[in-house]
Amino acid sequence: MPRYAMVIDLQRCVGCGACSIACRNENNVPEGIYWSNKITETVGTFPNVRYHYIPTLCNHCEYAPCVRGCPTKAMHKLDNGITMHDPKKCIGCKYCEFNCPYGVIYFNWKEPHQFWKNNKVLFKGGTSSPREEVEKVGAEKTPYFNPERGATLPANRPKGVVEKCTFCDHRVSKGLLPTCVEACPANARIFGDIKDPDSDVAKLLGKFRPFRLREQLGTNPHIFYIRDFNPAQYRPTKGGI
Amino acid sequence: MSEKKGLYGIWLVVLGIAILIGLYTALKIFIQGHGLFNTNDVIIWSLPLGVYIFLALTSSGLTLLAGVPLVLMVKKYEPFAKRLVFLAIATLLGAFVAIGLELGSVENMFWILFSPNFSSPIWWMGFIYSVELLVLIVKFWRMHKGDWHSGFSNALGVISFLLALIAPLMIGSVFGITESRVTYFGSMMSVYSLVLGLLSGTALFLLYSTIFHRVTGNGAVERQTPLYNEFTVIFAYVAGIAVVLSLVKFAIESASTVPEFLVYHKFEHAFGAWQGFHFEVLLGLFLPFVLLLIPSVRKSMGGKAVTSALILVGTLMMHMEILLAGQSHPVGPKAEQYPAFISYFPSIWEWLVFVFALAVMLLLYTLGERYLKLAEAPQ
Repeated sequence: MPRYAMVIDLQRCVGCGACSIACRNENNVPEGIYWSNKITETVGTFPNVRYHYIPTLCNHCEYAPCVRGCPTKAMHKLDNGITMHDPKKCIGCKYCEFNCPYGVIYFNWKEPHQFWKNNKVLFKGGTSSPREEVEKVGAEKTPYFNPERGATLPANRPKGVVEKCTFCDHRVSKGLLPTCVEACPANARIFGDIKDPDSDVAKLLGKFRPFRLREQLGTNPHIFYIRDFNPAQYRPTKGGI
Repeated sequence: MSEKKGLYGIWLVVLGIAILIGLYTALKIFIQGHGLFNTNDVIIWSLPLGVYIFLALTSSGLTLLAGVPLVLMVKKYEPFAKRLVFLAIATLLGAFVAIGLELGSVENMFWILFSPNFSSPIWWMGFIYSVELLVLIVKFWRMHKGDWHSGFSNALGVISFLLALIAPLMIGSVFGITESRVTYFGSMMSVYSLVLGLLSGTALFLLYSTIFHRVTGNGAVERQTPLYNEFTVIFAYVAGIAVVLSLVKFAIESASTVPEFLVYHKFEHAFGAWQGFHFEVLLGLFLPFVLLLIPSVRKSMGGKAVTSALILVGTLMMHMEILLAGQSHPVGPKAEQYPAFISYFPSIWEWLVFVFALAVMLLLYTLGERYLKLAEAPQ
């Protein structure tokens, strides 16, 4: 059985956000919820400043606090290492969200995709209302509805349950890459079996010194970051007093 | 006499209205979801959960007090035992109202029992409190039937006592194993929960007894004054332990440079902290403790009522303060959507959950006192 992991090459990542957009479309992610997200940081004092961008998603930790704490096993591990969520078992206690050190679990506080129930049109006789758009394409809740998401998880999750990245388990089970990996124009995301020494993931982890988020907590996250984008040069110096 | 009957009727009408409003609130929450709360993906747990923690721990405290005559066999406190057990049941049911609405569905509360995850402190907390409720009800039924000290009845007393000891530790560990939120992490939360539970349980019993005897006007309090005074000494001791634990906690928080602990200096909201001072602790714990050190205050009914009322309000606020301080800053990428620090004030619906839980509890107290002979003791 493989153990899936992802390497994110920060030198290749340009912060375009294609991963996040593809994720939203693939997984019917509601407004306000981010399965694929980012941490941005600006360091230094003007004019000596730099901008850092770290893409984030569920870390599919080996010792996942969300799985340990879930009272009903709604949050559980698959044999391939994916941390999966079963909304049918979720009682909405939100302990996984509370317990996740990475801030990647979200709760459906309201009925999702409410915007698309709206009957208002921008120009009468000229544009469609959100509800009409959904009806015209014959979709469920949103015009960009992807029914394939429903293979392993309710395609649209109801209010009162949490949701998060599943490494696109419905695609992986068919031999396809997660959609964020597929969508990345810079090949900054590399996905594969970390146990297979011939996998690109294993090779990259042997070649570069990776870091992981909040590694000191002992959760053994399976999102690894390598390299950093920094073309800056500086004149050799020993500083001064 | 007729004036008292009139007041009783008004009291029942007030509780009835509060419960009707509570039922409407429950319906509204079940239909519309938690969007009615002033919560978000940073402030995840709010007033309904704080109320649950407060009432559940208070119920544990009451059960532990009932254990003094029923388990430790200190017979002179037997006149308090039946009332303590009943108050523990009613308070726990109030807690279940709050957690049921926090979960947003009553069926969710039952589902938790049928899909167990034994590594989850929330599962253990739910399981232990459910079993404790059942055991307390059976124990109360046995006492009501006059069976106080048969083998079966004693076993029920011991089991409920042990469950009441473990349950607060489990509530503490729900927070204490959260590695990602350092302000909660560690065994301190479990010890703190147990002490605060015993403190609020004792406070509730003293306040309830003084109000009840004042309202009904029977002379039981005067006859049992020495016993109440002894209970007040226990109360003062528990308050003293809570003071020491709070001071240790503040010492760690104020000495730490860990960013999450600095929240305590910055955080301002409606639950007591203002300008860097924890008024909920100063007025809700330290002040009543100092008052309890004065013998005349300890012995007067007014002193008992004021100190226990201050501590009851104070412990609820302390639970809320702890609950919110650990959630006041966004974790990881959520900082992209939310400000660095988030303040919180409950929505009207969250307040109504609080009112509903209190109304259920108070209605049960009222009916129990009227029909269940709570002052009974074995001959």
